[in-house]
Amino acid sequence: MTETNTSYHPVPQPDDIPTREREDAMGGYLMMFAAMAAGLPLPIINLIAALVYFYVNKAKSRFIKFHAYQSLISQIPTTMLNAGLVFWTLRLFFYQSNTFDDVFSIGSEYEIYWGYLIMTFVANLFYFIFSLIAAFRARKGQFYYFLFFGKMAYHYAYHINSNENRVVENKPPS
Amino acid sequence: MRSTKPNFMKLNVKYQESYSRGELILRSILGLFYIMLPHMFILIFVQIWASIVTFIAWWSILFTGRYPESFFEFMVGLNRWSLRLNARIYNLSDGYPAFGINATDEYSSLEIEYPESLSRGHLLLKTFFGAFYCALPHVFVLYFRMIWGGILSFLAFWAVLFTGEYPKSWHEFNVGTLRWSTRLNLYLTFMTDDYPPFSGKE
Repeated sequence: MTETNTSYHPVPQPDDIPTREREDAMGGYLMMFAAMAAGLPLPIINLIAALVYFYVNKAKSRFIKFHAYQSLISQIPTTMLNAGLVFWTLRLFFYQSNTFDDVFSIGSEYEIYWGYLIMTFVANLFYFIFSLIAAFRARKGQFYYFLFFGKMAYHYAYHINSNENRVVENKPPS
Repeated sequence: MRSTKPNFMKLNVKYQESYSRGELILRSILGLFYIMLPHMFILIFVQIWASIVTFIAWWSILFTGRYPESFFEFMVGLNRWSLRLNARIYNLSDGYPAFGINATDEYSSLEIEYPESLSRGHLLLKTFFGAFYCALPHVFVLYFRMIWGGILSFLAFWAVLFTGEYPKSWHEFNVGTLRWSTRLNLYLTFMTDDYPPFSGKE
């Protein structure tokens, strides 16, 4: 164990982390395949799966808590983008608007839609690649910090709460 | 160690010396409502989770050669739950099956040894050809066995009703069917590399 910061719990080294914990930490990132596995092509399924996984496993160890939380919060932006894409696509299929003020069908070739589609694809690709890297690192007992979300997850899992060791004393009514 | 030992699974449903006639009638008439429906409703969601777990375990085996231990324990718990429920559906046990992955049961037990490593080649073989060389022949034989098991269950209903005893050999046969189908299920869900025997014996 290495002491990194006085207000944070010490960060474990790879050799200190049992295989079982590493596998559980890895599982958090692999929840991005949940919708595929469940056969329900809805982006929200992945988020629900990650949420369930986080709540089931967060008490097991701080290492698992960190990875499961990082996986969960890093999924939120792509889930929102994907949900928007599903909504937009369905709207184009089932509601053909001819009015110019319809923000979802601006332009004759729906240029904005294609722009959004490509942006969502790239975001998913990045998310997929970084999540796989994180899953492999977790399996090796290592930390992998995502941009922005990494610090949040570290703070959440390793920050020492001032009330953590507070002893609650029962008192008779005054 | 590669794979598991031949006797990696122990499934048993306790043979009771006497069965409750009252519970038998209650289960037969209202079992659908007070046993099947509540369990099946929850099991739908648990099964969705199990399919996610199995999918992820598949990738884990492919890359690491290991079934994640906590995932494995979850799947064992689910199999135990199914066994508890099936034991009541087939009138093999009295009592109400407990809800939950970690619940225990007085009458049924299932122990599955955790495999330290699983073969990646076997995994791919099962994925692409498992339906042909494993599921198809086993399901074909099990189909006839289950028909016979259904007839025995029907006759056992009357035996229990009039004598309070479930004929032991019939009980063994029906438990054997459950054992066989559980072994098949474990093989096809990548929890073992041992090809299931065409037998319901221990």
